Amino acid sequence: MTRDGGTNGAVVRVAAVGDIHLSPDCRGLLRPSFATLPLCADVLLLAGDLTRHGTVPEAEVVAEEVRDLGVPVVAVLGNHDYHSEQEADVARVLGDAGVTVLEGDRVLLPIGGGKVGIAGAKGFCGGFAGSSAGEFGEREMKDFVRAARREADGLYRALSGMDAEGCGARIALTHFAPVPDTLAGEPVEIYPFLGSYLLAEAIDEAGADLAVHGHAHLGTEHGMTAGGVRVRNVAQPVIGKAFALYHLPLVPTPVHPTPGEPPAEPASR
Amino acid sequence: MNTDEGEYRIARFRDRLARGDVAELGVRVEMRGTSVLLTGTLPSAGRRDEILRIAATELGGIPLHSDLLIACADPPDRPEELS
Repeated sequence: MTRDGGTNGAVVRVAAVGDIHLSPDCRGLLRPSFATLPLCADVLLLAGDLTRHGTVPEAEVVAEEVRDLGVPVVAVLGNHDYHSEQEADVARVLGDAGVTVLEGDRVLLPIGGGKVGIAGAKGFCGGFAGSSAGEFGEREMKDFVRAARREADGLYRALSGMDAEGCGARIALTHFAPVPDTLAGEPVEIYPFLGSYLLAEAIDEAGADLAVHGHAHLGTEHGMTAGGVRVRNVAQPVIGKAFALYHLPLVPTPVHPTPGEPPAEPASR
Repeated sequence: MNTDEGEYRIARFRDRLARGDVAELGVRVEMRGTSVLLTGTLPSAGRRDEILRIAATELGGIPLHSDLLIACADPPDRPEELS
């Protein structure tokens, strides 16, 4: 159970992976494993860095890996997917293959009698509380910090309102890390380039049941925000598999009368 | 080899990995005594061989140890239950 209300044992089965860094030499690499997803998962999350250089031919390789999988596929892009400044084309190619690409927005999926909300944003770097970059000085420095703030604001907006929409499980999907816990194994000196505490702040303030990210290849899988939200680093080198699998409790959506119909008669008077 | 010179060559090697066609930020390059150690996980054997070729060019003359792994593309054998 993640919030008030029971789940009756219901779960959403979340498959997730990031940092697959595909290019034409990797065609078909993950498809055999992804083809098993309908048997074990309700949704596949892709946590960015899906391509090597962010080109259309690379995005086409990713698209073929996940096309017609039989489960919904929801993605955010990562810094590699922006490298060639063709991120809109990368997102379009993935969208044409049926992938929902999120950037500061959310998707609600009806799964197993409940509603699963996934809020996504690439996120950005800047560091963690106590050792983070400040919005001060040169324009370049201020732009850097503002970029992180914009990403966190987008994630906050996407997460907010999921309760009102009746989501029984809320997932925050980013590429950059919201907490330093899942960076353990990376050189401490580069933590400020791996994530931002602003993402964790957005997750804790808006509320979520699970936060999934990638980016830190040498990090570790498990972490938690200050507010107690579980964080999972699903960068493929970290999880050591084609995808990680999480069973997340799902609060079933209450059954409401159809709009326009009179409310059901109470069982007894 | 002068230590400072080694440092700069390693920095140039890292920079070359990050730039251009390679775009590889997931390889850790560290000085271990008088040798260089490469660690990290790559998507394919071809990608690993490419890194080793560049290392041989950029770091020629410095003893090189490689512990680069290939990512496992198998599905997981069990889920994590989040209660």
